[in-house]
Amino acid sequence: MNRESPITVYREPDLHESSLVLGWSEDAGDLGRKVTDYLNLKLKGQEFAEIEPGDFFPMGGVAIRDDIARFPESKFYACPDHGLVVLQTDSPLAEWHKFLNSVLDVAEHHCHVTELYVIGAMISFGAHTTPRQLLAVVNAAEMKEILSQYDLSRDMDYQTQPGERPTLNSFLLWLARERNIPGVSVWVPIPFYLAAIEDAQAHKKVLSFLNERLGLKIDFCDLDQEIRKQNEQLAQARSHFPQIDDYISRLESNLMLSKEENGELVKKIEDFLKEGG
Amino acid sequence: MGIRLYQEPQLENPILVASWPGIGNIGIIAVDTLRSILEAEEFGEIEPWEFFYPKKVLIRKGVLESLEFPSSRFYFKRVCGGDIIFFIGEEQPTEGGRVYAEGKKAYHMANLVLDVAEKFKCRRIYTSGAAVALIHHTAKPRVWAVPNGPGLVSEIKTYQNTVLMSAIEGRGGHGNITGLNGLLLGVAKKRGLEAICLMGEIPVYLQGLPLSYPRASKSVLEILSHSLQVEANLDTLDELDQKVQQRIEEFYQQIPLEVRGQLDRLKQVAYAQPAEPGPITEEEERKIVEDVENFFKKRGERG
Repeated sequence: MNRESPITVYREPDLHESSLVLGWSEDAGDLGRKVTDYLNLKLKGQEFAEIEPGDFFPMGGVAIRDDIARFPESKFYACPDHGLVVLQTDSPLAEWHKFLNSVLDVAEHHCHVTELYVIGAMISFGAHTTPRQLLAVVNAAEMKEILSQYDLSRDMDYQTQPGERPTLNSFLLWLARERNIPGVSVWVPIPFYLAAIEDAQAHKKVLSFLNERLGLKIDFCDLDQEIRKQNEQLAQARSHFPQIDDYISRLESNLMLSKEENGELVKKIEDFLKEGG
Repeated sequence: MGIRLYQEPQLENPILVASWPGIGNIGIIAVDTLRSILEAEEFGEIEPWEFFYPKKVLIRKGVLESLEFPSSRFYFKRVCGGDIIFFIGEEQPTEGGRVYAEGKKAYHMANLVLDVAEKFKCRRIYTSGAAVALIHHTAKPRVWAVPNGPGLVSEIKTYQNTVLMSAIEGRGGHGNITGLNGLLLGVAKKRGLEAICLMGEIPVYLQGLPLSYPRASKSVLEILSHSLQVEANLDTLDELDQKVQQRIEEFYQQIPLEVRGQLDRLKQVAYAQPAEPGPITEEEERKIVEDVENFFKKRGERG
């Protein structure tokens, strides 16, 4: 590794033919952070490497979130018993090509990764009670074939629209293909009114797929409890506030809300859940 | 990583003409129009990875088919009296959310462009951009020319409809050229290459609009084609200009009457030398700019 490499490896993980799961720390519904934290907790992930932030984030101070100073982090965790590498990382704001190649350098040279799983949240204008369908974008036809056994929507057609840019997930998949690493970007819809808080159902949907695909044998009873609790809180919000119920009922009937109504629903739900239901 | 040349054409005394997008896309439209008229042939590119974020993804039936990056391409054309190399960058490499190129990436890109210029023994570099000016959109824009050495001043003085910074009202010969269209001049100077930046005037009240301004591109192209000794039929630019002028007029009619009244006075601007009193006083100039800024501020607040 050259002196300019931003990668720091504390100790070499004992991994052969492993899979890498990447989650972005600041994703909607807290998806990336929660899923990677959960995997590390259940599978006893051990931190073994990180990408130094200097090249990829503006070093003009620190951000404060929930009263706490935050600093960008990109940390790798090894779960050797399950052949799994977990990366929890902030999204780089510069030098994307170098950053994503650093991710793949660790994956390829230190973990012998043979499959890549990138998870991402899609903002949905549906209700939280609507069944969620995972959506997959792959970088190789063989990966699409492998995923045919799972409950994923795999036939998406998409082209970047004017004024938009591709996601980091697409960028990473494309670079992985250059290295012959098959990969998939797994997307889960998050109702817009849960995007700034947490969406336990979405977390479980992604984790269940990973559990099945990677044979992790995780028991989700604690997560099921969390989902029940959140559903109860949302049901309470609906019964306490007829306006919230009306908005969500309309979403359940596939009706669109106005911009103002969307904003009002977001605020009311966030306030209600923050106050503990 | 860096420059990729698909072929190495034999060129005689070439001139490099480079441009990136900027205000009103004045420079890039001028340069790309000339490239298109001359049917210049693509022969290389600067690899995009370290400079740009991808601009487009294509996913078909769930499979990521392609990822496209902004292009930075070289073209050549053999012409009597001196061959031409064109460089056209689809985007300026930016850092930290800035609009125009700045910092080490921009410097690196400028150096890569000039590596190619030196490899083919270019004798001169032209870049092109916009000059924000107190003019009316019905007027013919002038071209502000900035050379990177005093030896070029006398030649610039022979160009039609062109002014040096010292001849621009209230500028005193000073100013700056943001982004790569300007940076390239400096880097060329450092390497001992002569370079000139040609900037077409755009009315101050149009600089923030998402519109191209082909009227100024045409002014630039008139100078460029004369200097390169090539004949260029500018009909396509005229057609484009007519369409854009229509849209500008529509916008112009939405401006409140009192502000428009001030802007209408710009129709009277005759280009005065610094020593001569112009038809609009400095105080009036300030007032016009202030009114325009306030108008846009209010529009912005209304969303």
